[in-house]
Amino acid sequence: MKEINLKIVTPERIVFSEKISQVSLSTTTGQITILPQHIPLVSQLTAGEISVKYNGNEEDLMAISGGFVEVLPDQVVVLVDTAERAEEIDEQKAEQARQRAEEILKTKVVDAKEFAFLTAQIEKELVRLKVARKYKKRGIRTGLNS
Amino acid sequence: MPQATRDIQRRIKSVKNTKKITKAMELVAAAKMRKAVAKVLATRSYADLAWNTVLHLVKKLDTSRHPFFRESKEVRNVLIVLISTNRGLCGSFNLQLVQKVVDSIKLHHPDTRVTDVITFGSKGRNEARRHHLNIMADFAKEDITQSSTIINPITHMVVKDFIARKYDKVFVAYTDFASSLQQQPHVRQLLPIVPEIDERLGYITHQKEKEIVNINVENFSDFLFEPSRKEILNSFLPRLVEIQIFQAVLESEASEHSARMLAMRNASDAAGDMIDELTLAYNQARQAGITAEIAEISAGTAALQ
Repeated sequence: MKEINLKIVTPERIVFSEKISQVSLSTTTGQITILPQHIPLVSQLTAGEISVKYNGNEEDLMAISGGFVEVLPDQVVVLVDTAERAEEIDEQKAEQARQRAEEILKTKVVDAKEFAFLTAQIEKELVRLKVARKYKKRGIRTGLNS
Repeated sequence: MPQATRDIQRRIKSVKNTKKITKAMELVAAAKMRKAVAKVLATRSYADLAWNTVLHLVKKLDTSRHPFFRESKEVRNVLIVLISTNRGLCGSFNLQLVQKVVDSIKLHHPDTRVTDVITFGSKGRNEARRHHLNIMADFAKEDITQSSTIINPITHMVVKDFIARKYDKVFVAYTDFASSLQQQPHVRQLLPIVPEIDERLGYITHQKEKEIVNINVENFSDFLFEPSRKEILNSFLPRLVEIQIFQAVLESEASEHSARMLAMRNASDAAGDMIDELTLAYNQARQAGITAEIAEISAGTAALQ
C-alpha cells in the first residue's frame, strides 16, 4: 500500500510527522480525504477534526483550528493555529472552555471583531469536545474487544 | 582601624552586593533564555514550511498581479519594523540593531527614499529617536510574547499600508538567534514577497538545521486551489507576513535573553576581579597600619628606657 508523509505543524510545535495511508480534513468547501498520489492542492481549513489512517487499520484523531493544507507529490503539509491529538484533550476542560466562551458571548459582546473571535473560539472548543468524545467511545470499544 | 582600610572594606561590601545582584540576574536571564529558545526552535519549522509553500506557489503561478508580490519600479517609501527589547542591561544588543538599521538606510540612497519606522520594544524606540529616525508607530511589547495574536495589530498595519501603496517596501529588523553566544542583527524584507529573499538579504543562520525540501516543482501539474486561487492567496499571504514577524519577535527574544545572560556573566566576573583587587589593597593597607603601630610602640618604649 502506498504511503504519504503527513506533517501537522502549529506555531508552537510539530504535532504530527509520520507516514500515513490516508487523511481526512475539513476545508472551507467541505470534507476532503487525501490519498497518496493526490494532485497538488492548496486549500484553506476550518476548525474541525483530522482523521488519519495508517497502513494497518489504526486510526488517529486530531482537533484543529483554522489553517491551510498543502498537498505535494510526496507529502501533505498542514499549517494550523492549534492542533491537538485526541488523547491530549481533557474532555471536562474542553466543555468548560466552551461554556465560558458562550457565556461571554451572551453577556458582553462589544463589537463585531470580538464577536467573530468568540464564535471562532466556541467552534474550536466544540470540535475539541467532539474529538475527545469520539476518542473516548472508541477507546472503550477497543477495550471490550481485547 | 584607620580610615583607609575602612573605606576599602566598605567598597568590597558594595561590590559584593552588586555581584550578588548580577549573579541573580544572570540566572533569571538563563531561565528565560531556555524558554525563549525552546519557543523559537518550535516556531521555526512552521515558518519554514509556510515559506516553502509560498516558494512552491511562486514557481507555479504568475504572481505579478497580486498586490503582495508587486514590486514598485521606483522605491520611494520604505517601512521598517524594528523589534527590540523593553529592558536594558543586555550589552550592546539594541545599539547594534539600530546601528544596523541606520547603516542599511544609508546604504540604500537616503536622498531619494523616505524611511519610516515602527518600533516594537521601548529601548529600540529610544535608540531610534536618538538617531532621528522617523517613528510612525510604537507598539508596546511584553517581556515574553506568548502568542502571535499580540503582533496582529502590527501585521494589520503593515499589510494595510502596503496594499494602499503607502510603502513600496517593508522590512523587519530583528536580532537573529544563532546560538546563546552569537546573535546577529538582521534586516529582512517582508513585502513585497520575493522568492529570492533569502539569498538577497543574507540568510537566516539556522540554515543547517533546516530540512531541505527539494521538490522539483516542474514535475507536476498546476496546483489546485480550493475554494479559489484568489481567496487562498488573500488569506494565506497576510498569515505568512504575520508568521514572519512573529518568528522575528521570537528570534529577538531568544537573542535578548542570551545577550543579557552574557552581559550579566561578564558583570559578575568583573565584580569578582574587582573584589580580588580590593582585598589585596585592603590587606596591604592593614599590614601597613600594623607595621606603623608597632613602630610607634617600639619607638615609645625606646624613648622610655
